[in-house]
Amino acid sequence: MKKIMLVAGREFMATVSTKAFIFGVLFTPLLLLAMAVLLPKLMDTAPPKLKGEIAVIDPTGRVGVALGAQFSPEALAARREAARRKVAEVTKDLAPAGKAVADQAAESALGGTPELSVVVLAPGADLKAAKAPLMVDAEAGPGRLAVAVVHPDAVQRPDPSAPFGTYDLYVRGKLDDRVQDEIRRGLREAIIEARVEQSGLQRSEVEGLMTVRAPDSRTVTKKGESRTNEVANVLVPGGFMILLLLSVMTGGQYLLMSTIEEKSNRVMEVLVAAVSPFELMTGKILGQMAVGLLVLFIYAVLGISALAVFAALGALDPWLIVFLLVFYLLAYLTIGALMAAIGSAVNDVREAQSFMMPVMLVTMLPWLLWVPILRDPNGALATTLSFIPPVGNFVMLLRLSSTAAPPMWQTVLSIAVSALGVWAALWFAAKVFRVGILVSGKPPTFATLLRWARMG
Amino acid sequence: MPDAVVLRSLTKTFGEKVAVRDLDLVVPQGALYGFIGPNGAGKTTSIRMMLSILYPDRGEVEILGRRSAQEAKDRIGYLPEERGLYRRMKVRDLLEYMAALKGCQEAGLRRRVDEWLERVGLGGSAGKRCEELSKGMQQKVQVLAAMIHQPELLVLDEPFSGLDPVNQRLLRELVLEQHRRGATVLFSTHAMSHAEQLCDRIVMVHRGQKVLDDTLQGIRTRFDPHSLWFEPRRPEDDPAALASLDWVRSVRRDGPVWEVVPREDIDLSAAFGLLAAAMPPARIELRRPTLEDVFIEIVAGTGADEGEQSQLRAAMRGGAGDMEAGS
Repeated sequence: MKKIMLVAGREFMATVSTKAFIFGVLFTPLLLLAMAVLLPKLMDTAPPKLKGEIAVIDPTGRVGVALGAQFSPEALAARREAARRKVAEVTKDLAPAGKAVADQAAESALGGTPELSVVVLAPGADLKAAKAPLMVDAEAGPGRLAVAVVHPDAVQRPDPSAPFGTYDLYVRGKLDDRVQDEIRRGLREAIIEARVEQSGLQRSEVEGLMTVRAPDSRTVTKKGESRTNEVANVLVPGGFMILLLLSVMTGGQYLLMSTIEEKSNRVMEVLVAAVSPFELMTGKILGQMAVGLLVLFIYAVLGISALAVFAALGALDPWLIVFLLVFYLLAYLTIGALMAAIGSAVNDVREAQSFMMPVMLVTMLPWLLWVPILRDPNGALATTLSFIPPVGNFVMLLRLSSTAAPPMWQTVLSIAVSALGVWAALWFAAKVFRVGILVSGKPPTFATLLRWARMG
Repeated sequence: MPDAVVLRSLTKTFGEKVAVRDLDLVVPQGALYGFIGPNGAGKTTSIRMMLSILYPDRGEVEILGRRSAQEAKDRIGYLPEERGLYRRMKVRDLLEYMAALKGCQEAGLRRRVDEWLERVGLGGSAGKRCEELSKGMQQKVQVLAAMIHQPELLVLDEPFSGLDPVNQRLLRELVLEQHRRGATVLFSTHAMSHAEQLCDRIVMVHRGQKVLDDTLQGIRTRFDPHSLWFEPRRPEDDPAALASLDWVRSVRRDGPVWEVVPREDIDLSAAFGLLAAAMPPARIELRRPTLEDVFIEIVAGTGADEGEQSQLRAAMRGGAGDMEAGS
């Protein structure tokens, strides 16, 4: 046992003290965080300046005026205030830190104050002459940005059953799409405004009739009612699964690499003269298990702090942390044992690739099945997969963290089946490892591994 | 006191090939054994079975009084033929780790590690990573790793290969020091000169079978060629003429010297005088058998043809560096 711990200790230290590990595991989350904060900032540092002139040829005599009102400084200020109120509404449940982030995002999304002037041309104005100022570079600075030609039937229909007319829009080349959107929005609003007025109705009245406020949705379970959080319902289980996958694969990959390294470095025979192959393998598996746990811990802390920032800690059942650990041990031991067996059998990383296919498949499946399983956590697909190790570990964790938890007996059975899987994988790995570490030369096949497993 | 190593009828096959066949071997405690034979003779397989790294198809192993090397691992030091180091590990850490794996964690370990590194000229490299060392330096670290826990039995598989003459001598001193401390030493080599310089007993294997197991002295007596090396003082003298003398059985030229074989009933010390009287000598020397000669003679007895014999001879001489090591 002492030797196993010595091997495990060296394995752990040799892995976590490498630059690759420190960078890969510790800096990646920091990098992701930095990107999440910095990228939107970089993208929004220079929102397009809405500055210039829009020419309108308006036979109706109403749209041009309404458009002018749309782009008046007072109207713009009012719209920004409304947008800010809406953001505040959405972020009112957030913790202060989260609110600050959301407010900042909203502020930068609104951009700077536009300075648009509207020039209404006579109904019979020459379109060609009106379009001429558009033929300059976008860089040429303010000037005419667009020409809108409103159809005569855009506000008033000759026949009530016929559809309303629309408008033609001519814009300057390379005009920012956000500016175009703003112009279209203004025109749409102006036309609606004119139509409503023409019909003798009140705009606010019509809007009131057309609006249904978002419902207060609650999820009803045996434990009681809780506010439905659609995003958390998908993201929390997904987060748990990714956490599990990430830590299992980190430990597994390092185990594979270090075993191949020991074999190709020819340090293996020195080691097995000091410890038995089983002690060596066990030590290595335990050492990398600790590496995986470290990764799990780091990312779990990050994830929980993120939940705390967005005041969504309530979506987290403490039992899930326990299950996460249990399924980590089960999944890691199964995959880690297979990795140790593969690493001991091959001569280099290239040869390992052909054996990695099935292992990669196991790790791909949860990604593919994430959404289908969450849609029907107790369906036939989810239930069947729960009892196939090591995929079952990922599936079961997804189900446990979903809104419809599986029956207790399924959880227990899944863990029991996985434990059997661990035993089988370790048995197989111990047999293959003992032979594999001393064999070199011809690349082994699956048949070779099975023959080794049956030996002695 | 039990024998350090006892092998009884050890047999191992790999597929069709019989690597070791019915090997019996007893190495008493405190002995210094040479395990010799050409490449592919079965030396490494025998050693691996001895240390329970491989399991024999048939036969028994007893190591330091135990039924298996598994039970005596901490008391054995082993330098495998295929040896390596953790490339990223620091030299001192590696030696301490290896010693700890062998159950040696006493307080003075670090001091011993540093002292030993100093002795083999690696004092300044204790804090370096193994990958920064040259191949020869790495091999010295590997040798130290096999000895650092002061084992009762030291098994070295081809310890001299890859070392320059200076380091071969250093290694010989280290081995002899372990032997003087009381350790039983067994080392394999395909270069006979190393065995001749070090061992008090020789085990020879050929094609998986033991063909010789005797003390160096015993071998010399048993395989005494009963002949003299002769070189004439005057260039005009032709030693071929000596063949006509009645006490001479045969004369054969071997490069610059001649081998003169007296009749069986002529004592070699008497032959010295007779030869000197017959032709003025520049040099007369008693021809002693080399392990190489002995080996070839044994192999010839098993029916090997001329071509195979010369191949073996070349194999057992090893590299040029190996030959010069004794100088």
